[in-house]
Amino acid sequence: MKGDFGSIWLVLALPAIGFLIQAFFGAALAKTMGKRVVGALAVLPILIAFGIAVKITLDLSALDPANRSSVQTLFPWIDTAYLKMPFEFLVDPLSMTMVLIITGIGGLIHLYATGYMSEEKEYARFFSYLNLFIVAMLILVLGNNLGLLFMGWEGVGLCSYLLIGFWYKDRANAKAANKAFIVNRIGDWGLGLALFLLVAMMSNGHSALHAPRFLSYDVMLPALPRQLILHPAETSAIALLLFVGAAGKSAQFPLYLWLPDAMAGPTPVSALIHAATMVTSGVVLLNRMHVVFESSPVVSAIIAVIGCFTALFAAVIAFGQTDIKKVLAYSTVSQLGYMFIACGVGAYWAGMFHVVTHAFFKALLFLGAGAVIHAMSHNQDMRNYGKLSKYLPITTWTMVIAWLAIAAVAIPAGEMIYGLAGAYSKEAILGSAIAGNHALIDGFNVGVVTGWIGLGVALLTSVYMTRMMFLTFFGKQERWRAIPAGAHAEGEVSHSDVDEIVSHLDGPILDDPHPQEFVASGLPMRASTGEMLDADVDHGFYYEEMPAVAHDDHEHGLDASHTPHEVSVSMWFPLVLLAVLSLGGGYVLAKGDAFQHWLYPTALPVIGDVPHEVPNLSLYSAAAAFGGIILGIIFYGRGLPADQGWDESRWRPWRRSAERQFGFDSMATVNTLEGGGDLARGIWRFIDVGFIDGIVNGSGALAAWIGDLFKKAQTGYVRLYALIMLAGGVGLVGYIMYSSPPPAIRLQPAGHGLIGPGAPPQARQVQGAVDASAGTTPSAAPGGTQ
Amino acid sequence: MNGVPLAAYLALGMFMFATGVVGVIIRRNPIVIFMCIELMLNAVNLTFLSFARYQFNQAGAMDSQGAQQSMVAGQMMVIFVMAVAAAEVAVGLGIIMTIFRLRENVDIDEMNLLRG
Repeated sequence: MKGDFGSIWLVLALPAIGFLIQAFFGAALAKTMGKRVVGALAVLPILIAFGIAVKITLDLSALDPANRSSVQTLFPWIDTAYLKMPFEFLVDPLSMTMVLIITGIGGLIHLYATGYMSEEKEYARFFSYLNLFIVAMLILVLGNNLGLLFMGWEGVGLCSYLLIGFWYKDRANAKAANKAFIVNRIGDWGLGLALFLLVAMMSNGHSALHAPRFLSYDVMLPALPRQLILHPAETSAIALLLFVGAAGKSAQFPLYLWLPDAMAGPTPVSALIHAATMVTSGVVLLNRMHVVFESSPVVSAIIAVIGCFTALFAAVIAFGQTDIKKVLAYSTVSQLGYMFIACGVGAYWAGMFHVVTHAFFKALLFLGAGAVIHAMSHNQDMRNYGKLSKYLPITTWTMVIAWLAIAAVAIPAGEMIYGLAGAYSKEAILGSAIAGNHALIDGFNVGVVTGWIGLGVALLTSVYMTRMMFLTFFGKQERWRAIPAGAHAEGEVSHSDVDEIVSHLDGPILDDPHPQEFVASGLPMRASTGEMLDADVDHGFYYEEMPAVAHDDHEHGLDASHTPHEVSVSMWFPLVLLAVLSLGGGYVLAKGDAFQHWLYPTALPVIGDVPHEVPNLSLYSAAAAFGGIILGIIFYGRGLPADQGWDESRWRPWRRSAERQFGFDSMATVNTLEGGGDLARGIWRFIDVGFIDGIVNGSGALAAWIGDLFKKAQTGYVRLYALIMLAGGVGLVGYIMYSSPPPAIRLQPAGHGLIGPGAPPQARQVQGAVDASAGTTPSAAPGGTQ
Repeated sequence: MNGVPLAAYLALGMFMFATGVVGVIIRRNPIVIFMCIELMLNAVNLTFLSFARYQFNQAGAMDSQGAQQSMVAGQMMVIFVMAVAAAEVAVGLGIIMTIFRLRENVDIDEMNLLRG
């Protein structure tokens, strides 16, 4: 049985080879053979890996459910007498589900990116990062121990950083990348501590003495429940810290801050990393370590509450966004909140289910948004869009499917439900939350509360997604027609110019009653809101994705003369495939609870037990979905409402506030930055300048002072030195002659003192005879001369 | 050493050495200082030879081979000292020549670039 999955290493090796090719030969290949070849070399490994993964998954599903787990050791990694962490993969339903998403959706997004990035000069660099990301993500989900998980975890963080800052010449992008990396450090801190605690707890146990591989899942997970019962305090701490790690990567409430800024990266990156795969690794972690959370209902309740709050909070913020990618970013945060609700209430499978369906429709939404952005000269503001369905038919209709999928549209017909992907997973989550009883605080079932709030959020989701769709694709006006022609004739505005111009914008411009003109002059739209610019921590000017080197001459800015064109086949083909998945994926996976039984068959009975049957829930959620869409059409069906236009002073206060994330982002970043800055400055002043510099400079000054003291002895008169030498010599001789007892140097009687080891044999014999006689004297004495 | 006692040789060596020392300290001409150094080295050589011969004479009665060895050892030291002295003079005179070419003056008290 074991050999059946031996080919799993290829799934990792192919993207790794792809990465190496891109990294070392990509630039040269792009010059000699053209971008098409480079793109093919980037996409093919992922697609082949996907094929192998499909084969392995089919083999796996053919096995008896209880045996669907196989460890494949590749090579030793950490190898000591007491701790062995081989580089080994665990092939089981959870890991293979993720592998299919990563290689399948990842492959489609790679394909899309070959079209999307076709004007990019640093094509190979982009694909090397993207392939490396696939490698890291595969290590994360496939690794059979937490060490490998951590390695993949940091790897995807790195790739995320590199890709957010892909257009690093734009300072705002570099800032966004840093922000993502730094906020993720907080989560990684939690994960790291959790791992250390886990190692400490497990190695205390008896089993560790006999099982050097005790950190491997197949050894650790069965042994874990006993240890958890023995150490309740550590259990809570580990659960909480694991959750901190998961919340960092999966953008839960206090740590969600980085995800909206991560939209600064190229759109395929947002689709792959910041929607479909990396941000769900927190959910994967919770699934993998679910034993820990099951032993800690309080932490589970905290997870559910935070997930619920995140879902609600992000959904409200999405109403205040005018950037199409920002809407999607907040919707991602909100959907991740749903996944955490599921994990909090113990329905881990439902969380994973939503990971899968969300990967389908959110990747599609992002890619569709990318197609729109591509067609609209990299302008991302929905206030410039409208009626694009006329120009982008394929994009529009695939996006419509994604919209209905995320809105969880379904038609309940008796026992059966016919709906799009999101409907099934969302209903599973809400049902588990309402019917389950895992998330308890003091006996109070918070799960029920999160479930009903989640239903409300489903309504909000459906409204804001309808808003996005209608502002972008439908309505009566083509709003970019209002931008005067030739506004971009000056060519690209380099970001440093923009920065400088914006920094000089004081009151007059901000009080300008006609901000439209200002916007039309090619400056970032955000400049029309004064407040954000005052804060030192700006949230980036990436309202227009500005690839610093991408603009070729044929690319002109968005103005009234612009006619959007449907995207190329390499871009719409992934859209269509993802649309098919969004349309039918949920139904196939949910039929007969197929996904639940696939993920958690029988091995761990606790998991499957969360009930998720709530009477009439499918009716409620269908009502929420349709109600939301109807409300959305009522508000936005006729185009951009007047109170949401360019003039933000006419916005309703709550929407303005939502646009600014209710001040949370500026509070968190500004306060931490300023507080941290003050702290660092204080420490620098007292510890660094006062103490450490004092020691360093002090020792230098001491040496100089002593040197000054002694340099007077160096008069430069050679005869004085000779005199001192004479005095020294006389002193030494005098000491030798008159000290008592005199030192070892003394004149020996002739014939003895000069005889050393090299002395002639006779002499040695003489001495030997003397020694012998001396040595024998005591024993000879009794019968001796006396 | 027919009749001349060891002490006489040592006294002569001491006198030569003291002369050399005093010369090195009081003279300012580096050539003369070199000669004084030679004087000191030769005083030491003389002492080596005296002791070698003295030991040879003392030990010769009981053990001729050991005595010969001790004499050869002393004379070897003299050879070494002479070789070192020759090398030193070669280098030293070269330095003095160079200094003279640069400054047209070899007063040792004016060579004080390394003064602290």
